[in-house]
Amino acid sequence: MPLPKAHITVDNLSIGWGPRVLVEHVTFQVKRGTIFTILGGSGCGKSSLLRYLIGLEQPQAGRIDIEGVGEPHRYEGVPPFGVLFQSGALFSSMTLAENLALPLTTWTPLRGAIARELVQAKLDLVGLGPFADHLPGEISGGMKKRAGIARALILEPNLLFFDEPSAGLDPISAVELDQLVLTLSRDLGITIVIVTHELPSIFLVADHCIVLDKVAKGIVARGDPRKLRDGSEIPFVHNFFTRSSPGAPAKQGG
Amino acid sequence: MSVAVRVDREGDHASLVPTGPFDLAHTTAVAQAVKGTEARLSGCVSVDVDLAELDRIDGAGAVVLARFLDRLDADGRHARVVEDLNPEAARLIALYRERRADRPSQTHSISRLARIGALAARLPGKANEALDFGGRCAVALPKTAASPGSVDWRSLPRLMQEIGADALPVTSAANLLVGIIIGFLGVSQLGRFGAVAYVPELVVVAHFRELGPLVTAIVVAGRSGAGLASEIATMKVSEEIDALRSIGLEPIKWLVVPRCLALALTVPLLTWVGDVLALVGGLGATAVITHVTTRAYIQATVNAITAEHFLAGFVKSPFLGLAIGLIACGEGLLAQGGAAAVGTRTTTAVVLAIFGVIVISAMFTFFFALVGI
Repeated sequence: MPLPKAHITVDNLSIGWGPRVLVEHVTFQVKRGTIFTILGGSGCGKSSLLRYLIGLEQPQAGRIDIEGVGEPHRYEGVPPFGVLFQSGALFSSMTLAENLALPLTTWTPLRGAIARELVQAKLDLVGLGPFADHLPGEISGGMKKRAGIARALILEPNLLFFDEPSAGLDPISAVELDQLVLTLSRDLGITIVIVTHELPSIFLVADHCIVLDKVAKGIVARGDPRKLRDGSEIPFVHNFFTRSSPGAPAKQGG
Repeated sequence: MSVAVRVDREGDHASLVPTGPFDLAHTTAVAQAVKGTEARLSGCVSVDVDLAELDRIDGAGAVVLARFLDRLDADGRHARVVEDLNPEAARLIALYRERRADRPSQTHSISRLARIGALAARLPGKANEALDFGGRCAVALPKTAASPGSVDWRSLPRLMQEIGADALPVTSAANLLVGIIIGFLGVSQLGRFGAVAYVPELVVVAHFRELGPLVTAIVVAGRSGAGLASEIATMKVSEEIDALRSIGLEPIKWLVVPRCLALALTVPLLTWVGDVLALVGGLGATAVITHVTTRAYIQATVNAITAEHFLAGFVKSPFLGLAIGLIACGEGLLAQGGAAAVGTRTTTAVVLAIFGVIVISAMFTFFFALVGI
């Protein structure tokens, strides 16, 4: 069986704001059709790395190459990937259906009944069919994130980027969202890159991960997160996956 | 390869073979092909869909096929996808069929008359909101006097700077121009009766008593009223107001009182500066188009300025500032939802504040006319 091809190639990338370097000399690949997670503690630069991957920022050094797109910050035209921002980032003056219809009517000639049907199908897909006419202010945080996913899917991308999709959600909503992510990957064959530090989500959905460290300013571990949890000898990675503090006393058995 | 759906009929059974790219870029063609196929299925009781010759399929193509199959099922025809020939496409179509939610009942279109009625029905609620806010402010005043520590006094200098000093250029320019306009009008109208000598008095009376406070307040309502309303509305939608309450601070006292106080203090000062500049404007206009000397104009202006004229305008300025603050903060606190609510409340605040200062100014004028000031 041939190995899946690289969908995203990041080569020797350095990023930062002005003189402040967040991450330097980072190299990794995201295989097509997989769920790839970018992990790390707060302030390690993982959300910033996402901004570079989706082309909002230009790298200081190094290169990002997305198959069929090239360098994302240079790309112009129909958005080649969907993005879910941390808050959902829905347009608050528009209903959920209008939020989804906006990219569809901007980038395709589809209008009227067929456009409504596609919008409704995407809302149904994420379980928000009955809420098409609701404004974002009228739905919960978890529903906003699902609506954000539906909007990210409306142009049928084969690549999705999610920034903290399950952060701030109750456990049931978080699991539902994780199941949706798995459905998108397995049934629609979409490559998904997720920035998160929600361990249950990571272990449930991720095929592969990289772990960023603020001190090292780069990747300190990579691989299957379940294997890293069970076998990593790097203290930071071990502490990250086992939620233990470096100086915490061992818990007494009883 | 173009989009098409081949139909093979055998009595009351049909086999459909979609061909070509069933993707977002070809959705219109896909929808037309499917619609054309439906017309050719009359009399069929069972339909098989063979996906083997599909060139490509994505979510958009899958949705069109899924809804087509839903319609066939709803018509009582047995629709079946031949899954083993293209399992990925079959799974995609099945996903969109499984996840179809029940539609909410269609909302009835509202007639124009009903819309007017709905608008009228909202009026008592709006009046209630305004009265509730006014009442809470009235209650907050004695409480503020009793416990001054519950007010954010540290923000007062900053607010006076933002509302007062920063607004000075624009209010000054507006008043200067209004002074020039009155001067030109006075010269053109009074000049017909040989009464150009009364232009300085006209500028003093018109500007000191009415236009100075009004022009200044309207400019402040547009500039600072919008700023205050959007600031507080943003705080409301981002839960900062709730956070204030949660740490035991009353938003009316913490936010509204300093802002209203800053406006009540700075609007009279801006008005006073504006009055002076209006006199300069009137002087400039008169000196340019008449033979009245600067010295004579200033002498006539000094004679025309009385404490009565000055106070008639100066007294109402704090009330105009207070009204702007109350309306802007009140509208801001009523914001609910997201960014759209901030915009809506800011617009409403500016409109109401401008209308409010005109109404209050008119009420003062009637009162002064009644008591003979």
